[in-house]
Amino acid sequence: MLSLLKSIKNKIVAAFQTTDAVMRGRAVETIAYELDELDNIFGILVLGTFIGIPSPPIHITMDLLPLMENEMNIMLEKVSTAHDPLGDLFSVLEID
Amino acid sequence: MTMRAKIHFFIGKGGVGKSTTSALTAVKMATTGHDTLLVSMDPAHNQRDIFQQKFAEKPCQVMNGLAVKEVDSHYWMKAYLKDTQAQLKKAYSYQSAFNIQNYFDILKYSPGLEEYAMLLAFESTLHNAENKDDIIFDMPPTALTMRFFSLPFITLVWLKELLKLRQQIYDKKEIVSKIQFGKKKIEQDKVKARLESLIADHGHLSEHFKADNSSVNVVLNNDHLSFSEAIRIQQKLTDIGIDIARVVVNKLKNGELIEDIAHKFDGHPIIRFPLSSQELYGVESLKAYLLENNGLH
Repeated sequence: MLSLLKSIKNKIVAAFQTTDAVMRGRAVETIAYELDELDNIFGILVLGTFIGIPSPPIHITMDLLPLMENEMNIMLEKVSTAHDPLGDLFSVLEID
Repeated sequence: MTMRAKIHFFIGKGGVGKSTTSALTAVKMATTGHDTLLVSMDPAHNQRDIFQQKFAEKPCQVMNGLAVKEVDSHYWMKAYLKDTQAQLKKAYSYQSAFNIQNYFDILKYSPGLEEYAMLLAFESTLHNAENKDDIIFDMPPTALTMRFFSLPFITLVWLKELLKLRQQIYDKKEIVSKIQFGKKKIEQDKVKARLESLIADHGHLSEHFKADNSSVNVVLNNDHLSFSEAIRIQQKLTDIGIDIARVVVNKLKNGELIEDIAHKFDGHPIIRFPLSSQELYGVESLKAYLLENNGLH
């Protein structure tokens, strides 16, 4: 009996935890999207020299490049959605 | 870092005699008991012609109290790119996908890298010559010298703006982490930390140019062309907060300055180097010139 109650309690706790994680995830979706965009802007600013836009003195790019794998990945991902930026934004805002 | 050594820069239009006047000043200092290092930053490396011997990155003693070294900017560029490439290999798990290393061969031709190499050499020279009394830098002609002086300031402007953006990103990451995982502390941002350390480094470098123990000597001839360029140099240096300490007039024929120079640089000490009756090369010849001109008091 005790183990049954414990099992029910664990399941309820797990359900709450999942709901909590989902709700928290949804709460930060927009801000996480904005964060990705900021990371992308930062990447473009620092690594602009590789894509032909005005960039900081080359040594700043060289100094930061080894630490910017994440920004590189975001920039590459953005390439795939670059043709439809509004669609990308609408999907984040859940507008059909 | 407090430097014991006094730093003297000799700058000016090409051909006015920066190398000769800096060499004469170095010999004068050495003969008056100052432990002196003369550094040739000019890619033309005229010091080897003046002292009649080859120099390299390692200082070479040419007389009692005077060592001379040549800065090889290509060496510093190569070393810097090699170091960055090694860090990239360590940091990127699949760097070949980006093909970044293929860019390194052409990066050495990137605008701005030559003056950055000079900055690295400058920093290393100061670090290795801490115990000297005086360090004299024979600088390249105006264009490259001005880029060298302004680089730490331009770099600082960029770094501070990038840091602001990075701080914004960091703050948002903290919010996301707090909501998602219920904790505020997030992993240290390596880019932000690197930006902060670069700001500190470049701040120190730009302080060296403005410090009390640094002096910028503008070399010119007694003519209007080099005078006009000296005025432009003064304006550009003032824009980045660097003052001229002395004006050095070289190849002076009859001791009389043209009115413009005397008037414009009235408030600055003006050092006169009379035109030599013979070519100046070799330590003895430099010493003889100084003797002939009473040590240029």
